[in-house]
Amino acid sequence: MFVESMINITVKLSIDLRCYRPSLKINESMSIAVPDDTTLLELLTNILQIPAHAVAIPIVNGEKCKLEQSLKKDDQVAFWPPMGGG
Amino acid sequence: MFYGYTGTILRVNLTNGKISKEALDKKMAEDFVGGRGLASRLLCEEIDPQIEALSPENPLIFGTGPLTGTGAPATARYVVVCKAPLTGTIACSNSGGFFGPEIKFAGYDALIIEGESPEPVYLWIKDERVEIRPARVLWGKFPSETESSLQKLTHPSAKIACIGPGGEKLSLMSGIVNDNYRIAARSGVGALMGKKKLKAIAVRGTGGINLADTEEFWKASMDMHAKITGDPVSFGSFRAYGTTSLVNLINEMGAYPTRNFKSDTFEGAANTSGEAIAEEILERNRACFACPISCTRVTEVKKGPYKGRGEGPEYESTWALGALCGVSNLEAVAKANYLCGDYGIDTISTGATIACAMELFESGALTEKEIGFPLNFGDEAAMVRAVEMIGEREGFGDILADGSYRLAERYGHPELFMGAKKLEMSAYSPRVFQGMALQYATSNRGACHVRGNTVAAELYGVPRYMPPEVLEQKEEMVRRPFQNSTAFVDSSGICLFTKFAITHREICALLTPATGIDFNFDRSIVQGDRIWNLERMFNLRAGFTAADDKLPARVSEPSPDGPRAGSRAILQNHLQTYYQLRGWDTEGRPTPSKLEELGLEDWWNVCREHD
Ligand code: SF4
Repeated sequence: MFVESMINITVKLSIDLRCYRPSLKINESMSIAVPDDTTLLELLTNILQIPAHAVAIPIVNGEKCKLEQSLKKDDQVAFWPPMGGG
Repeated sequence: MFYGYTGTILRVNLTNGKISKEALDKKMAEDFVGGRGLASRLLCEEIDPQIEALSPENPLIFGTGPLTGTGAPATARYVVVCKAPLTGTIACSNSGGFFGPEIKFAGYDALIIEGESPEPVYLWIKDERVEIRPARVLWGKFPSETESSLQKLTHPSAKIACIGPGGEKLSLMSGIVNDNYRIAARSGVGALMGKKKLKAIAVRGTGGINLADTEEFWKASMDMHAKITGDPVSFGSFRAYGTTSLVNLINEMGAYPTRNFKSDTFEGAANTSGEAIAEEILERNRACFACPISCTRVTEVKKGPYKGRGEGPEYESTWALGALCGVSNLEAVAKANYLCGDYGIDTISTGATIACAMELFESGALTEKEIGFPLNFGDEAAMVRAVEMIGEREGFGDILADGSYRLAERYGHPELFMGAKKLEMSAYSPRVFQGMALQYATSNRGACHVRGNTVAAELYGVPRYMPPEVLEQKEEMVRRPFQNSTAFVDSSGICLFTKFAITHREICALLTPATGIDFNFDRSIVQGDRIWNLERMFNLRAGFTAADDKLPARVSEPSPDGPRAGSRAILQNHLQTYYQLRGWDTEGRPTPSKLEELGLEDWWNVCREHD
């Protein structure tokens, strides 16, 4: 039987996206286990159930990524809405 | 007949009390737009850039743009231009609020303040009536008290720009505060106002601004308004959290300079972030003149040792007084920020100077005896105390008040100054954002983020995404869509923060019906280039050379930790490519043909003098 292995990652939600997990503190990350070939888009829409259009800047381990990117073990994921300023 | 512009420049001589009005040169306005460009051009006419900055020969020029005060979105800006007391470069500090529009309503495009008064004075401008009045009773007062006293002495609706005690005491980090809390902060422009003994300018204007094609102007204005209010950044995260929305993001990228740039990740960032400000101290938003974005935060710390009220802290302020000093207590950061407002000093330079002193102290180059108390990274009470001492020039604050370049030199560690051309860098690590590295090194007022904030491209993807670590084509990106473009926007009178929703095209679509002059995209690019080159020529004449286009050695060393550990600022080969793209020689001097192309050929002799 084919069994998908699960990997652990952490996720942070910032600015307006915090409304999707209001119990999280500012910049607090949550650990979750996901199947090891999960993409960022699947993580967002299927697992976290956050509409993809709400996210403009996905960051994995400090680098901005595309939503098609697959997750690896221990990835630190952070999602941001459209941002600007300075 | 002028449209958009008022057509009049007010000249006030504080040495002999002479007040006169001059006509704006239309060709000059067309070539240099207004605001930053026009005021810089006027400055070049007034002085030889080699003069002492803190001298009566150095005029203080307040400039507005042709759009300032027109009522189109975010048309709130004015600039202060002079030879910079802190850096010796050309200075152009920019501020919003309501003061700039009021200058236009009173009938002026620019004010040129020259000479020096023997006694404290303020300037009272009521439309065409202009008076120099004694200000002895105002000397020593904070901006909020100055404003309320002056509104009693002049007109209840007068708009005020003034210096705080920092400017009076000639702190080289002092700025000019308007409308209570806004500040034209950088480069030490407040010290020049203090040197002139000019405490304040009170303006009451009751006139309007003539528009060349009113109907077309308001159509363009409505279009711009719709673009701004429909934009997910301008009307989303930026409006909701202001500039501080970036704190956690930049830190997450490992690009948030910490402890005098020793590292790029701050463990206490969340505590001093926009989200924390919103939850803990935010009272409400505030807008500048005609601005739908209203990014400004009115905040209050209600009780405890750091009790206070004011605006901000903004992104750069929360960083300089927070992460850069290793301080993660939001109330202390807010208090230090309020104090900077009270004393009228620049939060970035103030925080950076304290951070530099902290490193000098921890390394043993500075002793507790000299400072008066231990000044360790992370000591929030000591940080707040140091801000007060800078504002008062009290004790060791007297030395800190002249900025981190002079501090680091004085104590034998020039390498601990984290800036370029004597101006401290801001809150985007040049080890990570290669565009910012080149921008900090080449910016005409020294290491500054608002002369070309390439983070827009290197992170948000405006105008298009270029990953921060990529080097290819960064020279052109820094030059044109950032440095030249910003020079144009700063000259128009519109706030730079509209850039997430609009481009030059929308600004030109306002400028043309406002002024009756044909502004278009292609010309705006040349205008930006012309302004940048004029500023560069000023600096060359003031004695700067290519050797000054450099960054502190520390940021060329690998970042020690965080998600971007190992990344470093890479400048060397890029400078030559950048010079070439700019039409400059290998020494970073505009070539005669470049100057001719931009109509700046009067500056040829400056180039030749350096041969
Ligand atoms: S965007 Fe912010 S700083 Fe700019 S004009 Fe509007 S309120 Fe003022």
